[in-house]
Amino acid sequence: MIDRTNALHEALDQVLPTVDGVLGLKSGPSGIVAPYLYSKEQPGELEALAIWPKMPVPDTLKIIQKAHPEAQFAVVCRGCEERGIVEMVKHAQLNWNNLTLIGLQCTQDEALFCRCAKPYTTHSKVTIGEPVAGVPDPVTEGFAAKSQTEKLAFWKEQFLHCIKCYGCRNICPQCFCNVCALEDEKWVENGRLPMSLPPMYHLVRAMHMTAKCVACRECEETCPADIPMAIQFRLIARDVEEMFGYETGASIDQKPPQLLVLEEGEYERTGLPH
Amino acid sequence: MFEPKIIGFLCNWCSYRGADTAGMARMKYPPNVKIVRVPCSGRISPELVLRTFWEGADGVMVLGCHIGDCHYSTGNHRTAKRMPVLKRLLEYTGIEPERLHVNWVSAAEGEKFATLIHDFTETIRELPPIAEVIK
Repeated sequence: MIDRTNALHEALDQVLPTVDGVLGLKSGPSGIVAPYLYSKEQPGELEALAIWPKMPVPDTLKIIQKAHPEAQFAVVCRGCEERGIVEMVKHAQLNWNNLTLIGLQCTQDEALFCRCAKPYTTHSKVTIGEPVAGVPDPVTEGFAAKSQTEKLAFWKEQFLHCIKCYGCRNICPQCFCNVCALEDEKWVENGRLPMSLPPMYHLVRAMHMTAKCVACRECEETCPADIPMAIQFRLIARDVEEMFGYETGASIDQKPPQLLVLEEGEYERTGLPH
Repeated sequence: MFEPKIIGFLCNWCSYRGADTAGMARMKYPPNVKIVRVPCSGRISPELVLRTFWEGADGVMVLGCHIGDCHYSTGNHRTAKRMPVLKRLLEYTGIEPERLHVNWVSAAEGEKFATLIHDFTETIRELPPIAEVIK
């Protein structure tokens, strides 16, 4: 941990004078960590630089870039945040050309905490720390091994606790629609808890996460009811990769499959009748 | 005997005409399917299918033109991309994915239409009513 902080300080000392600002995490006086924009006018502020816990930095970056479209920013990002940035660039939420990515590699412990398959960056030119291999996800694998009735019972129990606070949508860096389907009474019923089944809120959100979820698990982290909703997103991400050969955040040039027409051989893999 | 409630979303240009062909040829098929005519099968969003289940449908059919025959060129490509994912999502939620059926029926395929409705109704009849599954 100390090595990475020192290495990050050295990298930022070099990068900070060349850009308009560096977006990283700052530890406040009461110990609360939050995203913070460091400027070259006040390099002394880097003393309070923090790297853990992880925060949804891409979301903050979007707000700052919208306010300063011409400015050059450097971002300290982990593997998941980098994938989030790539997906947001594809959906015209961020400007790729005005960004310098500083990749922070996660440690083995952090990867285990996040059950992360890809705890490393791939696009960043500057990298901090040694990349570690991805770890298996026992929660998702355990769920996938359940039978049909067990799966239904599992979600019935989980969604009973949902208070529909919309926290998972608000924290998600990939949820940026101006008009949200989850606020539409046509699709999601208002004023009833526990929500009636099938859980429209969670199913609609899972469908909208198709080919978008970058497995950062911010939704699970923020959920006050500890609902492991990323299980569904991960299983669907696996299916999308198998059917359409699309991996979220892997390449800046590959277009999201849901926006395009069928390619050669894709139809055969969807399992639809001929 | 359990009479399932089934909603069929049929595209105006091929499948609805196919249903017409089946009717004109006096073909018999179960009366469980309530048909909703839509401009294109690409109009059917996953939200719409989910809401149909939420309102109590035991099964949902989405029928469109064959790939390559769409009146709007690539409307049914969207169906072919969304619906398989939705089927998997239903599976991961614990709802039988067989409750959602996607197929392609052209205006001339009246017989295929009648057979599809017959087979799908029988499939849904084997499953418990959706009210028992999700309530």
